[in-house]
Amino acid sequence: MLTVTVRPGDVSVCAREGETILDAFLRSGFAYRYACRRGGCVECKVQLVSGEVVYNKRIAKAIFPDEERERGVCLSCRAVPVTDVVIELQEGDEPKCVSPLMAEVAKAELARVRARAAGASPVSAPGQRQQA
Amino acid sequence: MGVMRLGYVHVRVTDMDEALNHYSNTMGMKVVAENEPVGASTKISIEETAAPGERPHVAVEPPRSAHLKCWDEWDHHSLVLEETGVGLVKLGYKCASAEDLDAFENRARAFGVTTTRMSKGENLAVGDGVRITLPSDHTIELYNEIEYTGTETGTLNPDPWPRDRRGAGAPWIDHALVTAEDPALTERFMMEVLDFKPSERAITDIENPEVIGTWLFCGDSPHDLAIVKGQNGKLHHFAFFMTDWNDILRAGDIFAMDDVPIDVGPTRHGITRGMTIYFFDPSGNRNEVFAGGYRTGPDFPTINWTADQLAKGIFYISREMNERFLNVVT
Repeated sequence: MLTVTVRPGDVSVCAREGETILDAFLRSGFAYRYACRRGGCVECKVQLVSGEVVYNKRIAKAIFPDEERERGVCLSCRAVPVTDVVIELQEGDEPKCVSPLMAEVAKAELARVRARAAGASPVSAPGQRQQA
Repeated sequence: MGVMRLGYVHVRVTDMDEALNHYSNTMGMKVVAENEPVGASTKISIEETAAPGERPHVAVEPPRSAHLKCWDEWDHHSLVLEETGVGLVKLGYKCASAEDLDAFENRARAFGVTTTRMSKGENLAVGDGVRITLPSDHTIELYNEIEYTGTETGTLNPDPWPRDRRGAGAPWIDHALVTAEDPALTERFMMEVLDFKPSERAITDIENPEVIGTWLFCGDSPHDLAIVKGQNGKLHHFAFFMTDWNDILRAGDIFAMDDVPIDVGPTRHGITRGMTIYFFDPSGNRNEVFAGGYRTGPDFPTINWTADQLAKGIFYISREMNERFLNVVT
């Protein structure tokens, strides 16, 4: 599983197979500035600090020109990570926890993923008994 | 007689297959023509990004297009889609007579805006007309003739709705809301040139009544065109009529089934008293389903909302406005 880290605040969440950066963040109980979730309003443009993304859906060049992509701008509702990514939000925007419950679940998911990556025994999810 | 109603909305879409699925299967419209020319209005390149290893979708002329209509509309079409991106191309307003077109053209010129004559066939199934660039840079087309193709239930012993109604089953397109840097100027144009009247206005305050929003009607509905302060030439949303609150809820169920992104609702507007859900089409154009409202007419007195009560005017129940609702346009 890949991770998405959002700055400022360095909030990290897991991104599932084929999931966009924004969808992964929303599923994890957090939000930042977005609107249409369909690549048209460009509210969720962010800066890609590190990592790689692909775009599986068409995006009109008029609203997301090549030169922006070359400068590392990322349309986060359409961008699907193919490596771990770090993004920087627009000036004045910051990650907001909109659902502590979903954030807890996502935090446990991230801990499991990181533990697995480190070769350690998995951390229990809420409500699950710790595996020996 | 003058302008009768919003006749057609012409928008850009990014992916025609996804757009057709939305407007046809989710909203319930019928596709009446595909890939017919959509006129000289197509201005921008339709090159798009493509995933690595995929063939880039490069501009081909003409772009893919589609004409659609709702089940209770009798004219040929009410929605034109062209695969050229996102946002509004133009709005068509149907007038009662050719004399109206002449009169409106003269008045528009006297007002000082750009007008051009459009000829029959320039828009599929639409007759001669007048194209006007509003002070807000939006293009509107006035016409009085369009091919009559009838509603799906017909005019002889009709059923109340078609048995094979799909998705949200929208009966007709109701209104559009656009943004303008100077809403008062475009309001004045709509009133002086096209005889629209404001049913409601949003103003800064009573002592200093700068118009920041205006809801204009030409028939007896609460609004046929609304204008709020914002960027020139942009679309905030266009709306599909729904019969009642039950149909709004049912449309919401359909949106959940079809994974349609919701902006706001279901809720009620203070302004127009309408019941509503705002949502986005697959290209990011905002749509609305709108029910209720009230009846207007030439003697309808204008209702005012002050800026300090605007959140209640727009979303009556929550009295809260999300940031994106007023700022996000296409």
